[in-house]
Amino acid sequence: MSKTKILLLCFPALLTITPFLAACFFIFRFSFSANQGAIEGFSFTPYLELADPFFIRSLLTTFKLASFSTVIVIVLAIPLALVMATVQKPWLRRLLSVAILMPMILNLLIQSYGWIILLGPTGVLNTSLRELGLISRPIMLLFNESGVLLGLVQTALPLAVFPILTATRNISEEHIEAACVNGASHWRCFFDITLPLLKPGIISGASIVFAYNASAFAIPLLLGGRRVQMLGVAIRDYISPLFNWSGAAAAGMVLIALTIGVLALANYLTQRWTVTEYQS
Amino acid sequence: MNLHLEIDAVSKSFGHVSALEDIHVNVERGSFVCLLGPSGCGKTTLLRIIAGFERQSSGHLRLNGKDISTVAPHRRNFGMVFQSLALFPHMNVAQNIAYGLKLRGIKGAKQRERVDELLHVISLPEIADRPVSALSGGQRQRVAIARALAVQPEVFLLDEPLSALDAKLRDNMQIELRQLQQQFGVTTVLVTHDQTEAMMLADQLVVLDRGRVQQCAPPSEVYRKPASAFVADFLGSANIVQAKANAHGSHELFGQVIQLKNKSSQSHSVELALRAEDIQLKASDVNDIEANGEIIMLRDLGPSMEAIVKFEGNQIRVRSNDPELRLLELGRQVSLQFDPNRCIEFA
Repeated sequence: MSKTKILLLCFPALLTITPFLAACFFIFRFSFSANQGAIEGFSFTPYLELADPFFIRSLLTTFKLASFSTVIVIVLAIPLALVMATVQKPWLRRLLSVAILMPMILNLLIQSYGWIILLGPTGVLNTSLRELGLISRPIMLLFNESGVLLGLVQTALPLAVFPILTATRNISEEHIEAACVNGASHWRCFFDITLPLLKPGIISGASIVFAYNASAFAIPLLLGGRRVQMLGVAIRDYISPLFNWSGAAAAGMVLIALTIGVLALANYLTQRWTVTEYQS
Repeated sequence: MNLHLEIDAVSKSFGHVSALEDIHVNVERGSFVCLLGPSGCGKTTLLRIIAGFERQSSGHLRLNGKDISTVAPHRRNFGMVFQSLALFPHMNVAQNIAYGLKLRGIKGAKQRERVDELLHVISLPEIADRPVSALSGGQRQRVAIARALAVQPEVFLLDEPLSALDAKLRDNMQIELRQLQQQFGVTTVLVTHDQTEAMMLADQLVVLDRGRVQQCAPPSEVYRKPASAFVADFLGSANIVQAKANAHGSHELFGQVIQLKNKSSQSHSVELALRAEDIQLKASDVNDIEANGEIIMLRDLGPSMEAIVKFEGNQIRVRSNDPELRLLELGRQVSLQFDPNRCIEFA
């Protein structure tokens, strides 16, 4: 196929992406606006005004929760992907895939209310524990950072499982057996062979999860009970009660920069880690 | 005689399917044993039991007289070359070879020395820093062998390692492999379905079929005195033929009278093997109907010619480098001649 024909086929996709890119550009431009409500003039004020404790705390919370949730998700996703890779029966494979994909299929609102019904102050767990006389006041599992973390982990898990599952195709049973004959125990095999060969899948899975969770909005809003100000929620507050459009735009830019920066750093570090490890 | 690895009454079944039945093989120290058989004969299962990846259903494995039946594969100190070679793609050549050394706590200069030594043994000293993906087929092969031998294994196992190579390279690698094995003096067990490869490499052949040992002997003995029709047929293209009993207490084959050594089978027809290269063809008259066969296929194998002769409904394979065979043509009536001493009787 000729190049022009391919470009022609890409045209609809390019058409849909154009308004999005235009919006991105306008937000970028807005973040340098001298006026809070409209694009006017040029100024660094929106960025300088972000240097207040509210925003800094929000940034740190976002970074912390996105990082923790990414680590937890990857730790949970690796065994899940390895188990899925060994499943031979097609129907069982499909069933597992659907089960893992469920968080993507179900509405976030429904999932969040599900957690509230289970773990909320008047939820199943707290009511049971109180009935049993083990607690007198409900344990606050939700509407704080741990609740948000739980939600972030649960909703992002499928995003990590599938890239890692794809990476398991790099590993043959004979690789593991070769390490084993060479004298490696099961755990050595896992750390020396399985994990390094899963690396591409882990990196792409972790990148997607981090980016997805850093920009999370519904989960911190519903499970954080307004107390956990992740950036998504903070940006909305700039717009909705404060009508500070340029501040929201600047905060959005910071969020994008944070995400890209973390992904680039993680990528760089994992590259270095693999290069140096075997030279010792 | 120095017994190193002893496979004693090993059986293996997967559910109701029996893969190996009562296998006895004694492997001498420093010898090269080939497990030979058609696909599905159980040879790979037996190798995997020796390596420890499969647990036998019954029987024992002994190494230097000690029972290792239940020892985990990573504690057996064996070296193995896999069919896919299974070089670690995320390590370079030197790291691959050094992996087993690293696990044994051999580090630094000592490790480098050993890796260098092995790279020299496989005559590839310049590829240490190359990624595995940049190697040719033959180089990968050698690296896989070096990785297995680096740890000075008790037993060296190979699972059809040469099957992926083209014919010329395979031939070279067979010679190299044999030389390496003798140089290291390592006890070796190789699985193959290629009878030429097995003949060329082994001190001891173990011919397997349907999970049973058919014969266990040096290659020349297996070739000259195959224990069964299966072995005769599998090693070299032997013709399995029926010699008919005649009225005088002896037998006839291709119209020629032969005396069999096995007296118990005097009265009925006997199954014999006769190798393709032990039969000569002679163009005959059309009148001499009785002893005639008809050439139904001819092919030039380069150094020799092969003919397939239809004789009394059987297809007999004849191979010869006699220039006269080249003068025969398709459809020609021929008589089959052979030296009776070359007939192989089965016990």
